[in-house]
Amino acid sequence: MIVPSLQVTLAGDTMVIAVAGDWRLQQAGQWPVWPESASRRPSSAVLDGSQLASLDPSGAWWLLDLLGRHGLPVNRLALRGFSPATSAILTLVGQHAVRGAPKRGRERAWVLALGRFSHRLAGHAGDSLRMIGHISEEMLGMLRHPGRFRLKETFAQFDAVFVQAIALVSLMMFLLGVVFTYLLGRQAMQYGASIYVVDGTTLATCRELSPVLVAILVAGRSGSAITAQLGTMKFDEELDALRVLGLSPWTVLIIPRLLALIVAMPLLVFIGDLAGIAGSMLIANLQLAIPPSMFIDRIDTAIDPGTVITGLAKAPLFGIFIGLIACHTGLKVERNARSIGLSTTATVVESIVAVILLNAIIAVSLSWLNL
Amino acid sequence: MAQPVMRQALAEASHVVTRLGGKTIHRGVSLRVEQGQITALIGGSGTGKSVLLRVLCGLLVPVSGHAQLFGKDIVAAVRSGEINQLRTRFGMLFQDGALFSNLTVEQNVAAPLLEHTRLPRDTCFDLARLKLSMVGLPADAGDKLPDELSGGMRKRAALARALALDPELLFLDEPTSGLDPVSARAFDQLLRTLCDNLGLTALLITHDLDTLLSIADKIIVLANGKVLGAGDLASIRQLDDPWLQAYFASRGDILAPPPRETR
Repeated sequence: MIVPSLQVTLAGDTMVIAVAGDWRLQQAGQWPVWPESASRRPSSAVLDGSQLASLDPSGAWWLLDLLGRHGLPVNRLALRGFSPATSAILTLVGQHAVRGAPKRGRERAWVLALGRFSHRLAGHAGDSLRMIGHISEEMLGMLRHPGRFRLKETFAQFDAVFVQAIALVSLMMFLLGVVFTYLLGRQAMQYGASIYVVDGTTLATCRELSPVLVAILVAGRSGSAITAQLGTMKFDEELDALRVLGLSPWTVLIIPRLLALIVAMPLLVFIGDLAGIAGSMLIANLQLAIPPSMFIDRIDTAIDPGTVITGLAKAPLFGIFIGLIACHTGLKVERNARSIGLSTTATVVESIVAVILLNAIIAVSLSWLNL
Repeated sequence: MAQPVMRQALAEASHVVTRLGGKTIHRGVSLRVEQGQITALIGGSGTGKSVLLRVLCGLLVPVSGHAQLFGKDIVAAVRSGEINQLRTRFGMLFQDGALFSNLTVEQNVAAPLLEHTRLPRDTCFDLARLKLSMVGLPADAGDKLPDELSGGMRKRAALARALALDPELLFLDEPTSGLDPVSARAFDQLLRTLCDNLGLTALLITHDLDTLLSIADKIIVLANGKVLGAGDLASIRQLDDPWLQAYFASRGDILAPPPRETR
């Protein structure tokens, strides 16, 4: 490796710029700068490459950029002593070199962002309505022609959404029941109100914790799976293939998944209720010396069936929202690698927000109606 | 007959045996990629052309045999970590471009420069724009994401990225697949021009007979896990292999079958 160098001399009126050494990307840290003693803007200039050992496009770019910035006519340089290979590189780079970023228009970024967001939101709302319309139409068609209904597919989905989630829901709600009861118990013991722990935990579990947490779990598990599956099918044209074969993606794919979610959710919430209560019973026994028989007695006397029913009634509603969000996002996936990841994340986040929002609305409405 | 000039081999395989998933792909492949030439690697589907390329890049270790890159043993280089230094000396064009999907085209081409050199950021982007212009992409393509480009433009962008570090050697995996005939021929000419002007060596895997006819200096035929033959177009056409004869027969209008000696 010969260190690159640049020398400027004057031969009469002509400036001679002699380059020597290796002018390649490997020498990038050692590329010469313009010597300070050299005067600018000569009447003519010659580039002498007789001592040049090697040149690559990056080195050529640096050289031409250097010459250009010091007033030399880069397009009309006289070359001397260059081999055919190096002069070809120099010419090629001279034709293509671009300095500086292309001009970008000034934008009021936040105004544009707000506009784009609103536009997208409106588009989303329109697409959702259209999708709900399609689904309703197909379901009505199924009522008239029950043969169209895909029983096997629905059961397969039901297995995936419900059966395979039982263990996880039970474990999660059991542990939650344990923790919640422990915390409540600590407070209640101070006031000698231990028995009211039963009321508190059962109410919280059946009415709020179980429905919301099971919905979040199902959104993360099944919602993202639905989005990923539909998105991939849209991406590699499987949905188009279905349509071309005379089948409807709504009937074949989406309605079975929606129905599976709607039926599975209350069942899962009920299992969650049982697991949560079991966890509470365990801690009540260990910490508060409330035996299971007393626990159950207390539930009988103090808790109103409406509590459990409210929780179970919220479940299918959450299921519908999770299903619609998952299908909607899945069908909007674009043809690139990041889109699937972004869509599944969006499904989970939007579902969780929707569930919590709905839950709050229901809670406020019910208390307003004194239920 | 003139003595053939002994050129330096930038990439070389000797008696390479590879196995993937229990299946033996190469049974002793030996070839040389010589400096200054465009070498085309052809063969039927499933003959292991892409696998051989992965061996030469150091992405796959052969079961036996030796592979060399710039005179250094590849397996030893992978073990010692020297392979990353060697990788700055060659560029690879993957079949679908393999551009990073969350970076713009300009950022894709600048990425190797930002990683491997200590040049200032502005200079890296200037050099990236130089390469984009050299491969014939318009100035506004730089700000686009890869999925906003057409197939032909994506391949050119991938070529620009392969050229980012001014390599001596290029590997190309089916560069013209999926391109319409006009774009394919334009790409071939671009490759030839750049190789001639920059003194590049290229090894390209191709099914495209027009590429062979227009820009290949040397052709290597892979069949049954071995090299069936290596040489220029005329010598390859003399080889007696049914697949090869069928391959060339598909362009019977341009290629008259070689005259057989009957004396």
